[in-house]
Amino acid sequence: MKSYARHILTIFFLLAGASMLLAQDNIVMRVDSLGQEVEESAQAFNPKETIFEHLGDEYGWKIVGRVTLPLPVIVGGEDGSWHVFSSRRLKDGKVYEGFYIARGGNHEGKVVGTDAAGNEYRPYDFSITKNVFSIMISALITLLIVFSLVRFYRKNKYKAPRKGVGSVEMVVEMLYKEVIVSVLGKEARKYAPYLLTLFFFIFISNLMGLVAFFPGGANVMGNMSITLVLAVCTFVVVNVSGTKEYWKEIFWPDVPIALKCPVPLLPIIEIFGVFTKPVALMVRLFANMLGGHLIVLVLISLIFMFSAMGQVVVGVTTIFSILFAVFMNLIHVLIGFIQAYVFMLLSTIFIGLARVKRLSDSQSQN
Amino acid sequence: MSLFTPELGLVFWMLVVFLILFGILAKYAWPAIVRMLDERADFIDKGVVYAQEAKKDREKAQMDAKALLAEAHEQQLDVLQQTERLKREMIADARKSAENEAQRVRVAANLSIEQAKREAERQLRVQVASLSLQIAEKVMRKDLTSDKSQEEMISKLLNELENKE
Repeated sequence: MKSYARHILTIFFLLAGASMLLAQDNIVMRVDSLGQEVEESAQAFNPKETIFEHLGDEYGWKIVGRVTLPLPVIVGGEDGSWHVFSSRRLKDGKVYEGFYIARGGNHEGKVVGTDAAGNEYRPYDFSITKNVFSIMISALITLLIVFSLVRFYRKNKYKAPRKGVGSVEMVVEMLYKEVIVSVLGKEARKYAPYLLTLFFFIFISNLMGLVAFFPGGANVMGNMSITLVLAVCTFVVVNVSGTKEYWKEIFWPDVPIALKCPVPLLPIIEIFGVFTKPVALMVRLFANMLGGHLIVLVLISLIFMFSAMGQVVVGVTTIFSILFAVFMNLIHVLIGFIQAYVFMLLSTIFIGLARVKRLSDSQSQN
Repeated sequence: MSLFTPELGLVFWMLVVFLILFGILAKYAWPAIVRMLDERADFIDKGVVYAQEAKKDREKAQMDAKALLAEAHEQQLDVLQQTERLKREMIADARKSAENEAQRVRVAANLSIEQAKREAERQLRVQVASLSLQIAEKVMRKDLTSDKSQEEMISKLLNELENKE
């Protein structure tokens, strides 16, 4: 019992601390303006701006307060020249080699340059931003975790791993046996690497997103660019592995001629279906992960929004906000798993649907 | 808002990172893991089958041993019974042969007794005949000795007497 209590307390403080760190910028701001009236600092807090700053991408990685990990900025200018420099050079609105971070307009928060005519333009931006760095870390952790299992197998043949490695194996086995094999059957081995990579990468990124201090905390899967890439990968895999029967069912389905001949009604619907499937995958993961982050951020922001109303209100709000934020974070662990699982499961099912064989073929196989 | 509009750089790096991750894992990790999972499942299945067979074999061996033991018991009983029967037969045979022997001896004895008796009778008859002759001779004062026809007549008379008795 005692150790349970200790674990729960640890988790609570981790999550609470994480939430507090998230709000740290604002605390710093308040300490700075200690001499001034409280009302003013309360007005200065803009929840929308703060929340989206935390959800969005950034050049360099704010670790604690004003300590920032500089990350490389890689931009290709209008004239075709490439510039690589540290994000520290752009700090506080500084201009470096003609590039600076836009403070408004269409490209707010992004690196922009000025072209010959003096207009602001967006260069080709391949910077290692916070999100890019975060997915690299997630990928590394994924590698570490997966190879720990491989290493175990290499050392102990036919033995079942225990503890940490055992839990990894348990997840792999669950996904492989329950999902991949049961959906794809004999072709499971061919598609298992892609599907397992997909799951582990999404799951670990989601978990990293919940760790609010340095190596985690980036809103990775709550960013459309990331889920877009994953969805496109699934789209490519599904359609590349589509059988003749799959394409036939799209362009010439087994329905009455009237539904497909003069006006190709069903083919149009089917073709839409081909694209809506990955789009649904993309939006589902994105919205779920963004939503979770958003709720926690809003709950923490409440503390600062109520800070103008006196100490008692702030105190009560703080307690409830932290409690709810911890609760939401715990739920978010679950969501992180479920969304990774659902993404993988649906990818598996789409692949399974694309590997459809003619009824007589499959019957003769059985 | 940048969250909703795909960012070229982020898409690029995500693609690169994901493909590299996939490449490494697909080449060095997942096939090994999946193969291991399958192999181990097979291994365990085989182990279970083997254990079941071993159990069946053991049960069969136990049954066989029991059957053998029962058979041996039966044979033992058979042998015992046979011996018993043989013993009885032997005793019976011995008794029978002894009886036969005794019978034979008895018959032979009877025979010899009969013979002896006959001989004695014959001799007695002869003696009686001669005695009678002598008596008759003396009585009749007439020498009738060695007259064969008279002797025969007397023997006949004696026989008649005997038969009458």
